[in-house]
Amino acid sequence: MSIVSITHLNKVFEREGQPPTVALADINLEIDEKEFICLVGPSGCGKTTLLRIIAGLEKPTSGDVRLDDMPIAGPDPQRGMVFQEYSLFPWKSVIDNIAFGLEMKGVSRQERRQIAEEYLNIVNLEQFRDAYPHELSGGMRQRVAIARALANNPRVLLMDEPFGALDAQTRNVMQKELLEIWEETKKTVVFVTHSVDEAVYLADRIVVLSPRPGKIEEVINVDLPRPRDRTEPMFAELRKYILRRMEEGASVR
Amino acid sequence: MTADMDNKTKNQLRRILIPVASVLAVILLWQAIAVYIIDNPFALPSFTQVLDAFYRNLFGPRGTLAKDIVISLYHFAIGLSAALFVGIPAGIAMGWFRTVDQALNPLVEILRPIPPLAWIPFAIIWFGLTHGSAGFIIFIGAVFPILVNTYTGFRNVPKVFIEAGKVLGCTSSLGQIKNIAFPSAIPEITAGIRISMGVGWMCLVGAEIFGAGTGRFGLGKNLWTYYNLHQMDSVVVYMLVLGFIGIVLDIIFRHYVTKQTVRWQGQEM
Amino acid sequence: MKGKTFLILSALVACAAIFAAGCTDGGNGETTELTALSFGYQPSTHQIAYMVAMDKGWWEEDLAPYGITTITDHKFPTGAPEMAAMVAGEIDVAYVGAAPVISALDAGLDAKIIATVQVQGSDLVVRPEITYTSPEDLKGLTIATFPAGTIQDTLLRDWLRNNGIDPDNDVDIRGMGPGDATVAISEGAVDAVFLPHPSPATIIAEGNGYTAVASGDMEEDHACCVLVASGDLIRNHPDIVEQIVRTHIRATEYSIENQDEAAQIYHDMNKVELDVIKASFATWDGRWVTDPAIIIDSVVDYTVVQSELGYIKEPMTADEIFDLTFYEKAVAA
Repeated sequence: MSIVSITHLNKVFEREGQPPTVALADINLEIDEKEFICLVGPSGCGKTTLLRIIAGLEKPTSGDVRLDDMPIAGPDPQRGMVFQEYSLFPWKSVIDNIAFGLEMKGVSRQERRQIAEEYLNIVNLEQFRDAYPHELSGGMRQRVAIARALANNPRVLLMDEPFGALDAQTRNVMQKELLEIWEETKKTVVFVTHSVDEAVYLADRIVVLSPRPGKIEEVINVDLPRPRDRTEPMFAELRKYILRRMEEGASVR
Repeated sequence: MTADMDNKTKNQLRRILIPVASVLAVILLWQAIAVYIIDNPFALPSFTQVLDAFYRNLFGPRGTLAKDIVISLYHFAIGLSAALFVGIPAGIAMGWFRTVDQALNPLVEILRPIPPLAWIPFAIIWFGLTHGSAGFIIFIGAVFPILVNTYTGFRNVPKVFIEAGKVLGCTSSLGQIKNIAFPSAIPEITAGIRISMGVGWMCLVGAEIFGAGTGRFGLGKNLWTYYNLHQMDSVVVYMLVLGFIGIVLDIIFRHYVTKQTVRWQGQEM
Repeated sequence: MKGKTFLILSALVACAAIFAAGCTDGGNGETTELTALSFGYQPSTHQIAYMVAMDKGWWEEDLAPYGITTITDHKFPTGAPEMAAMVAGEIDVAYVGAAPVISALDAGLDAKIIATVQVQGSDLVVRPEITYTSPEDLKGLTIATFPAGTIQDTLLRDWLRNNGIDPDNDVDIRGMGPGDATVAISEGAVDAVFLPHPSPATIIAEGNGYTAVASGDMEEDHACCVLVASGDLIRNHPDIVEQIVRTHIRATEYSIENQDEAAQIYHDMNKVELDVIKASFATWDGRWVTDPAIIIDSVVDYTVVQSELGYIKEPMTADEIFDLTFYEKAVAA
């Protein structure tokens, strides 16, 4: 059952004194409930733009984007988002950050903190309940950001290279944790990355995008059983294949 | 263990003794120069004369020091509250709404460089010789640092915070200002308030030159009165009191306000 | 550690020595060669003798034989900053009210009054809508006058007290310069002013008030502006001081005889309307006089008033304030 449907989506950026940039050209995609889908591609392929359009932070030039068959009007907690940069509010404690979406809904302080604590537990940061973001490491901050998005019980969780700023080891740990959270909460996740390795590790499906203009090269099903093993030959093969597709896509234009 | 403790106490003693010794040395030097070299209480009142004048001004029958402090703080309070009342909303409006910024920026840039004391003629014309006119001069001195810092704080709100707020359900401009931009700008705003307190306090001497309110009290006012009477020992007393209270106000502000806002920044202020 | 403290102290001593050298060097060190003289004065018709002599080049002319090649002057709004400048050595000779001299002498100024400049000549001007019939009517009003310690301030307070009005609590006295006071009364920021001429004439001409009391009615022939010379000049160049008195007498007599020309000179130097100056001459009760003997009692009386007001520690004697020898020599010649 698809919950996000994108039809004939086009996005053109007009810039003063320069020819317009076609970021996305005729994108068509159906995202199913509870699936973990990755958007991969080199810089300039429009993957972040596509994610931001689903989030409602950008408007398409033409085309249709729907959530549960309703057109998307603007940003909404139903489409939660985790950013690449650290986006936690530094003046709020961890628990109050997580509770922010509920606070905006008008939920009482006691109630929203209670709910926030559940999600605090899901990301395993109970001891840091009253800490401030500056006291946390990069990985911990992103976990709080994930909890903050999940606390609003979104229909879909959008993630824009959330582990891009972390070191390799933390990144691997975070990928594992994310999959645990995903399995526990059964959310639909749209994950943008330029690391093919990360995409193969995480995704049910991988959407390969190529740049100038941004187009879908191919949509690949990843049938590898979980938990996935990076050293396994099938893993490596799939990764090689995707990298080759990306190269082809980039060189033709 | 004992060696460590010895070092620690030595350092603590150093930290207190050296400044104290230095101040004492300066006072002794001042006294010596005033009494033996200059020997002219007009050109340089001695430390003992200043001490004597301080006692007279605080406790003597003609002394008005205590009342002067109260009145000056009153003028300061008027000016500072007006500056907060005008500066913060204006800074928010200019920092958040591009059109407001474009409209008001030229006005701010024209008025801002005008020294507060240059406003004295109009202060008197518009407010007469009232507490309001002294408060007005202090307002002029205090409002621009607050406005500029609030503006900068709002301009510098990281875009990602606003977008995070939007996707979490904070979609109205007002909501974003209140829940995201303002808290984010607080360090800048408090820094601005601290600067404006310093500037505002320094305007007192000019602001009170014509005697606001009843015209008899005020640290700035009576600094001029004693100057006109050539009683320089009292002038020095008033100078030192002005400086001292200025520092105390700053320390109080830093302790109570800045400390709170630094809590979440994790940096030295 | 000991070494450090020694260094700090030496540095402080060095700074202090430099500072002290700068302080005591304020223009009264050299006694032999004097080639420059500096005058202080105020923009009031009281001091027209100075301006006439300046305009006609008499200062330069009369002092050149004594080796003076440069004459400079400074204009002050009131006597208070003028006396401060004298103490600092910025001016050698001052045309100034007698009262600021008193408080300056009390504070350590080294100078003496060598001649009179004028008596009376200040008016209490009240806003047109306020009716004045007696001092009682001033209760509750705001009055702008010269700052504390000046003639106007001293005289006003003394006169109010003598009429049963407490200058601190029954009226609101504000000290400021003549320009500011004139603006204040025209804006209605104050109800009345007590100022030396020509300010009262200016205010009346602009329709912002009328004269309620002339200062001569407060105290007959009260001392006002005087001529002051620095102690250094008196001790080391008595011949110059005597000449200054002579030139002053000459300029005063000339002004009395040629009031229209004097008015023109005042207009040129101070930018007040010629008509206003002429009206001022017609209406004021001031007299330009030079003999210091006339005002000795009045000035000594000022010291009593000032000590009662707490401006100075105790009353002073005539010898502490005056040096009459130069005037006596000047008129004998």
